[in-house]
Amino acid sequence: MTALHEQGAGQQESVRIGLAATGLSKAFGGVRAVHDATVAFHHGKINALIGPNGSGKTTFFNCVTGMIKPDSGTVTYYGADITGKAPHRIARAGVGRSFQLCRIFPRMTALENVLAAVRPPSKTRLLASAHHHGDVARARELLSRVGIEHLEGAEARALSYGQQKLLELAGVLMADPDTIMLDEPAGGVNPALIERIAGLVRSLNAEGKTFIVVEHNMELVMSLSDHVVVFDRGSQISEGPPSVVQNDPRVLEAYLGV
Amino acid sequence: MPSASDRTRGSGLTTALKIVGILALAAAVLSFPSFAANPFILSVGVVIMSYAVLATGWNFVGGFTGYMSLGHAAYSGLGGYATALLIIESGINPWLALVLGALLTAVIAVPVGIASLRVRGASFVIVSIAFVLILQLVFQSWGEFTGGSNGLRVPRPFGPDVLRPEQHERFFYLHAAVLAIALLTWWLIDRSRFGIGLKAIREDEDKAQALGIPTFNYKLVAFVVSAFFTAVGGGLYALWFGFLDPIFQFSILIGSYMVLMSLLGGIRSLFGPMLGALVVGYSVEFFKNEYGDTQFHLVATGLLLGLVVLFMPDGVLPALAALLRRFRPQESSIREVTQAELAEQRNSDPITQGAKR
Repeated sequence: MTALHEQGAGQQESVRIGLAATGLSKAFGGVRAVHDATVAFHHGKINALIGPNGSGKTTFFNCVTGMIKPDSGTVTYYGADITGKAPHRIARAGVGRSFQLCRIFPRMTALENVLAAVRPPSKTRLLASAHHHGDVARARELLSRVGIEHLEGAEARALSYGQQKLLELAGVLMADPDTIMLDEPAGGVNPALIERIAGLVRSLNAEGKTFIVVEHNMELVMSLSDHVVVFDRGSQISEGPPSVVQNDPRVLEAYLGV
Repeated sequence: MPSASDRTRGSGLTTALKIVGILALAAAVLSFPSFAANPFILSVGVVIMSYAVLATGWNFVGGFTGYMSLGHAAYSGLGGYATALLIIESGINPWLALVLGALLTAVIAVPVGIASLRVRGASFVIVSIAFVLILQLVFQSWGEFTGGSNGLRVPRPFGPDVLRPEQHERFFYLHAAVLAIALLTWWLIDRSRFGIGLKAIREDEDKAQALGIPTFNYKLVAFVVSAFFTAVGGGLYALWFGFLDPIFQFSILIGSYMVLMSLLGGIRSLFGPMLGALVVGYSVEFFKNEYGDTQFHLVATGLLLGLVVLFMPDGVLPALAALLRRFRPQESSIREVTQAELAEQRNSDPITQGAKR
């Protein structure tokens, strides 16, 4: 199903919507982490999701990817309702994600970390050796793409934080998702590595992957993304191209509290 | 940096060493009955083999998924009672009863798994204990069917002309055969895609799910396979020992032994639980012999576990492997390789170079 929708603000270009949420809410006790959020991410673009700390970005991520069940609202992926589906189903539908602060399998080797990701079921035979030739070749290719192929035999916990972030990305790519959600890819890594990650995102995007990136590094967001969604207090307060969002008074107010 | 051919040659040598090791191990196990000085030693051998089957059975869920069931005596107990009751009530062949009993236990494990695998960590442990205690009460109270607290006499599979030492020997080999099948199954899963998924669950369940692994189904399958092998172990023990009492069959102690043995040997290694069974089984028998009917053997076993957890948290086998690696001077640690290569990579990486400028 393709949901075509005309964007406002006088734009002529018609935009295809991939992942979208309507009226999404999630409260933890009295804290409304996500509150009536209606968001649409653009297919084939690098979307950024920004907002002050505690504005509900990560909770939104978790609701969308099925890690947390939302209290109300719907999540759709290219028109299909995926609200409240199990995370592995959403992953298999084509949504890959990384985690804030990076999550890998510490006691498995880098290669096994990548091999663990599940590709669409048609390509899977469960009791086949995990070290199946084609899979290993693909996993190595991905490790080499993120630049850590020389570490394939090392336990993931022995890797540096930056290397772990790259490893996590390789694992996400192994599942061959169409949409890749990254939670703070530049958090806690040095500028050189940020550049490398940004380069990877750009080249993957050029190959047709859609990105949704939560990020605090504004310089990166503005240079990387095509479409920016701004969150405050659990819902979207602004959206548009980086240049437009940057000058939106609501955004400035949310960030600076003026 | 080791080249690819080095790596292949190294792994070829490792494979050869592994095969030799496994053959030596099999020979040692199979020749034990001919070396056993007397029937008592032989019976200790059977007990240890029985523990090895149970611990390896436990390790299908404990080792792969990291779900620490303290109540796995539920499945060995059910396997034992199912085998015995099938023989008594329907008069079928004891070996058929053993297999059917284990299958029945596996079927019972499905709803139990569905209910208990929803919770993680300490909650799962408590649910597993609750189940074994429920079974203990049921089997004690339902006297007319299970024999209750008076116990249940299990018909002998071999005729009266087979004498006791001969019995021990046969059961020793039977246990060895079941153990071999369990180990083979564990190995097959370990190297499979399914196995990698299970290990991913052990490491980080949410992350595994985000990578598309249907974690719940994976856990359930591992749990049922585990229950099956544990039940075979319990059934075989029942046929050998010839008597079942709910207080011993459904005891937390048996379940704790399975955990202790696996942790001690190393839950991430194929032969870990088996080695743990050898150490714990032997020590328990030794302490029992030494201190008689007191509870001191429990204290001693507890101390053993404490020492292992303190000094070899990954178990004996991984600790030994690490020790062996230390004696190989030419090989540097992962960390050193990592950093050397990182430096090398930093110098040749165009992106990093670009950023420096």
